[in-house]
Amino acid sequence: MAKAATSPATGDRWVRSACKMCLHGCGIRVRVQDGVIVKIEGDPDNLNNRGKICPKGHTGIMRHYDPNRIKSPVRRTNPNRGPGVDPGWEPISWDEALDIVGKRLKKIRQEDPRKLLVAINDFQRIHLWGWGAAFGTGHYFTTTGQFCGAAYHPINGIIDGSFASVNDYEYCNYWIQMGGGDGFSSHLHVAGSIKRMADARVDRGMKLVAVDPRMASYCAKADEWIPILPGTDRAFILGMVYVILYELNRYDAEFLKKHTNGPYLIAPDGRLFRHPESKKPMVWDGVDNRAKEYDDPTIKDFTLEGYYKVNGTEVRPGFQVIKDTLKDHTPEKMSKVCDVPAETMRRIAREFVEAARIGSTVMIEGKQYPYRPAAINFYRGAIGHCEGTHDHAAIKLMNMLVGNIDVPGGHLGVGLDHRLLLIEPGPDGMLKPQPHILHPMVPFTCPPNTLQMMEFFPIGLDPAHLVAHNILNPDEWGFDFKPEAALIYHANPLKNINGYDKVLEVFKMLDFIVAIDILPNESTEWADVILPDHSYLESYMMTLCEPPVITGHTLRQPVVEPMYDTRDAHDILTEISERCGCLDEFNGLLNFTMFLKPEHHLKPGRKYTVLECLDRMAKSIYGPGQDLKWFMKNNNAVRHIKPGEMYLPWEGMRISLYHEYFLQVADDLEEKFRAAGKEWDTSSYLPVPTWNDNHPLHRLPREYDLYAINFKAEAVLNHHENTTIPWVNELVSNIPIHKGVLINTRTAREKGIKTGDRISIESPFGRVEGIARVIEEIHPRVIGISNAITRWTMHPVERKMNTHFNRLLPASLEFTDRVSGHQETAVKVRISKI
Amino acid sequence: MARYGMVIDLKRCVGCNACTVACKAENGTPPGIFFTKVLEQVAGQYPIVKKKYVPVLCNHCLNAPCVRVCPSGATHKREDGIVLVDYNKCIGCKACVVACPYKNRELMPEGKLKEGHFKGYLTPFEQVKYKKFQEGVVVKCTFCSERVDQGLEPSCVNTCPAEARVFGDLHDPESKVSRLIRQRGGIQPMSEANTDPSVYYIE
Repeated sequence: MAKAATSPATGDRWVRSACKMCLHGCGIRVRVQDGVIVKIEGDPDNLNNRGKICPKGHTGIMRHYDPNRIKSPVRRTNPNRGPGVDPGWEPISWDEALDIVGKRLKKIRQEDPRKLLVAINDFQRIHLWGWGAAFGTGHYFTTTGQFCGAAYHPINGIIDGSFASVNDYEYCNYWIQMGGGDGFSSHLHVAGSIKRMADARVDRGMKLVAVDPRMASYCAKADEWIPILPGTDRAFILGMVYVILYELNRYDAEFLKKHTNGPYLIAPDGRLFRHPESKKPMVWDGVDNRAKEYDDPTIKDFTLEGYYKVNGTEVRPGFQVIKDTLKDHTPEKMSKVCDVPAETMRRIAREFVEAARIGSTVMIEGKQYPYRPAAINFYRGAIGHCEGTHDHAAIKLMNMLVGNIDVPGGHLGVGLDHRLLLIEPGPDGMLKPQPHILHPMVPFTCPPNTLQMMEFFPIGLDPAHLVAHNILNPDEWGFDFKPEAALIYHANPLKNINGYDKVLEVFKMLDFIVAIDILPNESTEWADVILPDHSYLESYMMTLCEPPVITGHTLRQPVVEPMYDTRDAHDILTEISERCGCLDEFNGLLNFTMFLKPEHHLKPGRKYTVLECLDRMAKSIYGPGQDLKWFMKNNNAVRHIKPGEMYLPWEGMRISLYHEYFLQVADDLEEKFRAAGKEWDTSSYLPVPTWNDNHPLHRLPREYDLYAINFKAEAVLNHHENTTIPWVNELVSNIPIHKGVLINTRTAREKGIKTGDRISIESPFGRVEGIARVIEEIHPRVIGISNAITRWTMHPVERKMNTHFNRLLPASLEFTDRVSGHQETAVKVRISKI
Repeated sequence: MARYGMVIDLKRCVGCNACTVACKAENGTPPGIFFTKVLEQVAGQYPIVKKKYVPVLCNHCLNAPCVRVCPSGATHKREDGIVLVDYNKCIGCKACVVACPYKNRELMPEGKLKEGHFKGYLTPFEQVKYKKFQEGVVVKCTFCSERVDQGLEPSCVNTCPAEARVFGDLHDPESKVSRLIRQRGGIQPMSEANTDPSVYYIE
């Protein structure tokens, strides 16, 4: 290994920068004494986190000083590859390493660029995600999106042009949280959000209702924990929607009439009923008692309910269709699905509607807004399922019924990036749906070019769990190429993709793997060449990701000189691009992904350093006065999101309550498949979310009597790569829920299992072993597997408990949400003492 | 004279353990040694279960048994109430470890400062931090006395995302700690031990 570069002695100083221990980038200040990093604290002058950081933020020191870091480019000397097999790394020069990689990738690119698999998970350098597209390959060989938000982000974008969503910390008084850790342990800016949530709970007395199969930290802190079966959150919600529509009969009619397509008349085929000539959607004016075009200025009342006949056609407002569709979703029926008592659903629905204060308003900075201080917040646990689109749509529906979308106290859309709420007028008086915030739509082709079949998910997000299956079964969809190499950059596909056995087969098949990372992991241990990136305490980046309340970039900058012979991953990709012949395409990609204005565009034929690119990015976003130098001096351009940006940003356009858009997408897709002579199931493109008694998860054979879930929603495990960091490792080793497979006392007793017993966990798709940990705070029909016990990397700090949850999960189309591409992230299992 | 103390708001605390790790970072404690941690207490039976996160640390008691029993005068109380161990005087007899009703003290065993979080390798960070310690002496939370002397809050307080930990002068009736204790009924841990802790809990 190369010798460590010495850092100059520079006395004692604090350097402002941005955290990268999760994706969100809190402001930090780092104390460096005589060249050694001795402390990381929250930057008190960064509004994102106001001087606070989470446990992971502190552990960055130990990650930075990990002696197992890759210290120079290395080449494998052991031709045998496999789990636990020492690659025999041999240091080589950058020129040699880049030449090996460049030569190999150039050949592939000339033959067929689709033979390269790309796995990029560097969440902050989001502008590099599309590198594969510059190369000419569209495969996504990592679960970016799958364990967070295939069913999350596109649906947010479709509803209100947002990327994420969260309840209004400042005004919400009744907060239902389902399967997510906002304000406690995970998701949007943890450190800042914990404070906002604590203020709401303790200072304002906000009521918190937590719905989760396991008592996560947010459930422990809630006023009420409602245990639920995995993958049934939609049933719980729809049972409450039934109560609101049929029993309480209290909803925000004004909001639905004014701000949604709820009053648009629907024809018997489920499509909008349009004016025969203008083709404009029609509504029913309840005062004049006739149908009118939706924008007719004479409309006196937009009717939401009733059955009408217009020109011989039976029509109903979209709201009425929703009501009719859900008429059998009684709490009693839904209770049988989700195992929440019907009376609990009734009570929560009533409390929710009462707390929403329908009809009230609030003045904020001189403008009057609706005030709806009750909202449901959720994340992967609630919607990370093979019908995730409906799960998400159901929650949005219940929120919308009380008129709380994007109003004070309610459920707010959050942009991915500064200014990136995509608010544009769409057809029919509607807000334009924005399902493609992460990358442009991949046009339909059959057979598809991407192994995750993005061509077949026009409003979804890269179902990477299909990649391995399609490589091993190319004939099913007619793939006429075979991948032979992979580029893995801050990713771990072997660990993070469902269906381990298939992914392992793919790894065995590949004859060249290049990895860019700072530490070895389960996947990079298979690499032929590793190109080491700087640590985040040695590199630059303009960071910002899904700011809930605050917006604007914070500069990540080196707090110390690089310890080793490493390079910035951005520059590494530039070098690879040049060597394999896609530099011009890469520059073109960066113009788009770094939001560069034409005058700052990167030109073909020239290599640009990461610093040049970031400087152009800063100037493009903030103007010439706020270039990179400005950020080096001032660190951040962070500010509060203004009320006008946050509340009703789409005012004047209607948002989708009745999702006719899904039917349009399905029509288009069906037509394309017909033309291609293939069949594709579009039955999940539904305008109204319903419970599906044939939900694949719940129809797994009865002998698999328990559900299994995985969790990383505890702050010390938030987001990614944790347990090779000693401070995380010793911490989780002391916390009971991270010591083994969580089983409820009652269930354990029935099965004769005690804490400490070695158990077998078997699903229809795979088997793992683990140590039992018997606890009270989990649903008796569910076992829980912490992310802290799932790894097997050779890294010496890792506990190697190897209860690899993903091996239990299915990885097939059957268990894929056909709308969003979301995989099923829960499964059914049987367990036994070994 | 000030008497420093801490109020821990159990309602605000979310058990994130930022304090635990911030403490490790500030003090550079070796593997397995924590000056503060967050206990998780579960009570009840499914589905009526309560789970509580309880951060614990040295209580810097006014009537500190550890100070009383220390035979060498190593454990002492500063005028501002902070209880410290003078490593140069400590003989490692562990009388204080036994005397502490809260079990918030431990011996830095022989070899501990060579172990390293990466097993047999000391990071530059550890090399710097371990200079402050000695093996064979008793260690514990210092209320980050060096920070406090510079007018800063202890590291755990500084980082706490929930602002569940509040530090200040118990003798000043207008300080935030005094007000919280008054207004929300601060409770000292194990009051039956008559140690008069400087750490209070509110719920």
